[in-house]
Amino acid sequence: MRELELYFGPQHLGMVGNFSITLKVEGDRIREATANPGYLHRGFEKLMEYRTWIQNFPLVCRINVVEPDHMELMYAMAVEKLANLEVPERAQYIRSIFLELSRVASHLFGLWAYANMLGFDTVAQWAMYHRDLVLDLFEELTGGRVYHIYIWPGGVRRDFPEGFQEKIVNTLHSIGGCVPDYDDIFFNNRLFSERAKGIGKVTREEAMALGATGQVLRATGMKYDIRKVEPYAAYHQVPWEVPIREEGDAYSRIWVIRDEMIESVHMIFKLLDKMPEGKVFNRTPNPFKWKIPAGEAYVRCESSRGELGLYLVSDGGDKPYRVHFRTPSYPHGLTVLEKVLKGESIADVGNIMISLYVVAPEIDR
Amino acid sequence: MSNSIKENLISSFPDIQVEVPEKDRLKINAEKEEVISILSYLKNKRYGHLALISCVDWMEEKEFELIYILSAYLARDDEYTDRERLNIIIKTRIPRDNPEFLSVIPVYENAEPYEREIHELFGIIFSGHPRLIPLFLEREYEIPPFRKDFDNRQYVKDVFDKIPSVL
Amino acid sequence: MAHKYSLHVIYFCTGCGIIEIPPSITARWDAERFGIIPVATPRQANLFLITGYVSLKTLKPIIRTYEQMPEPKFTVGFGSCPINGGMYWDSYNTIKHLDKYIPIDGWIAGCMPRPEAIFVAVTHLWTLIDKEMADGYKRYRKNYRYYRANQEQLYGKLDWPPLFPIEDEK
Repeated sequence: MRELELYFGPQHLGMVGNFSITLKVEGDRIREATANPGYLHRGFEKLMEYRTWIQNFPLVCRINVVEPDHMELMYAMAVEKLANLEVPERAQYIRSIFLELSRVASHLFGLWAYANMLGFDTVAQWAMYHRDLVLDLFEELTGGRVYHIYIWPGGVRRDFPEGFQEKIVNTLHSIGGCVPDYDDIFFNNRLFSERAKGIGKVTREEAMALGATGQVLRATGMKYDIRKVEPYAAYHQVPWEVPIREEGDAYSRIWVIRDEMIESVHMIFKLLDKMPEGKVFNRTPNPFKWKIPAGEAYVRCESSRGELGLYLVSDGGDKPYRVHFRTPSYPHGLTVLEKVLKGESIADVGNIMISLYVVAPEIDR
Repeated sequence: MSNSIKENLISSFPDIQVEVPEKDRLKINAEKEEVISILSYLKNKRYGHLALISCVDWMEEKEFELIYILSAYLARDDEYTDRERLNIIIKTRIPRDNPEFLSVIPVYENAEPYEREIHELFGIIFSGHPRLIPLFLEREYEIPPFRKDFDNRQYVKDVFDKIPSVL
Repeated sequence: MAHKYSLHVIYFCTGCGIIEIPPSITARWDAERFGIIPVATPRQANLFLITGYVSLKTLKPIIRTYEQMPEPKFTVGFGSCPINGGMYWDSYNTIKHLDKYIPIDGWIAGCMPRPEAIFVAVTHLWTLIDKEMADGYKRYRKNYRYYRANQEQLYGKLDWPPLFPIEDEK
């Protein structure tokens, strides 16, 4: 059979975000796949060198459009490390609750994308509706639905308003009460297991050699989660478990996402019970004249896609000297994708790509 | 933990500088010829996760600085020890006028896209890389865009603002 | 003009719009009440929403998609970035003024506008269609020489032939 070259390009109904893959196919099987990023490259790290430390906060949350809060956390933690700022206890608890709500919203978005691509339209509509309920909470707390700019060096921007804790509990109860319906229609459905079992299999040695973290690694049986390896915020104050699966294919990765969502909801309830009173931010120096001492810092956290890190260099001035984000979609979308697509059929390209949980703006920055 | 690794490193490689700047971070300043042997040594000691390869442009000192950040995966499935918390940062300097370096792909397989990105944004040539073609950029620039002497705003004035509007 | 009540949107999320277009077309902020549904190919579409910033690499698929849509067709720029560059005004890789390259009928401001803003824009587009003021496609046909010259000044020689014949100026 002849070998053809196809473009699974940026305008395609199965592609989430602007990303392109060049496929060399023979019949229905893929012989070679080449990833083609760069459609969303803005030169972020160069833009941040022209703006002062505080002016960079609205810019840094737009690197990952689906889940912007972990980027703000990384930048705030790195600036606090360089400038020696302390964060009060109540702010650490509020940061953890905020980040777990963001993780639930991001996983519901991923469930919409995956179910839509497989053809389960009902579950896609439910997931997007429940995500909108969580975005209503964000809008009441911070003023914006998607870009919040809430985490600040020295704490968080403002405290919970009156009656907000009951609203969080009610929203999460109404979402959690629908989990048996989700299981019946999607997760225990025989069509889902026929389409996803054995597809896109990544073994543990391959994942470790290619630099994978997050769900790709947890679906092979290793409990690698930065919230347990190097705890930050208030994650070491409450007991919780890291969900894993054993097989390493697309089916296990989606089940790990479902288990993580449920674990996040339980964690929010435990954190709300244990949260102390107090103030929520320490004052920073005058932001127009803030100069941070020279040095470098590397911080890392667990975003909803894997290990997120930031390397920040300051030369004693009022602007950063070098900023470099280590995003989790970079190895997943470039090295793991090219290896996993060999030998699969064309109909499964979207299936594998969304189950690897790649977000295109994170690769290009 | 960091102190025991520090002593092992100083005994194996006599002329590098190792310091422990803060808790859970180890910083190594090495010459460019020793970087690959330090990376293989650390990979054999089970630091098998290459998190990041980065580059900083020190224009006044006329040098580029390459940074490699390593960490360890879990050895046993449910035990979190000091070994996984430690991040090792290896730094080296190369001259700015004719920048070239060896590729570390034989040691760490996932270094391939990081080196392609540094090549097109800073202009450093990695010898031994199988596929050093552009990754993000759509065109060639005279000065690679992330160097300190490339002026963003002047470039925007020269290229984008000169195009006339239609009406 | 009955076709204004059934605008088919081409499903091409460029830039940041991937985060506010799916909520608009699903159950909560239902866009099908306004007659808008997404379609897969540009040959069946007559509304093009350019959601978010446009980089140098993305502008080529946008021009080719726009030229494949059959007339009458309408374009709406969504977000602050296509208007004048927005937050990335000093980046070397984004397009600052999108209407130098393809014609735009209306703009929606905001840095991710809310879904209700999309619906206000669509009802405003209906009024423009009724008054025959949404004539982006006619302007493209009339001034194609200037649009093509701008595209070639940015990219050099283009891979695709001109859409309309360009008569040489004597």
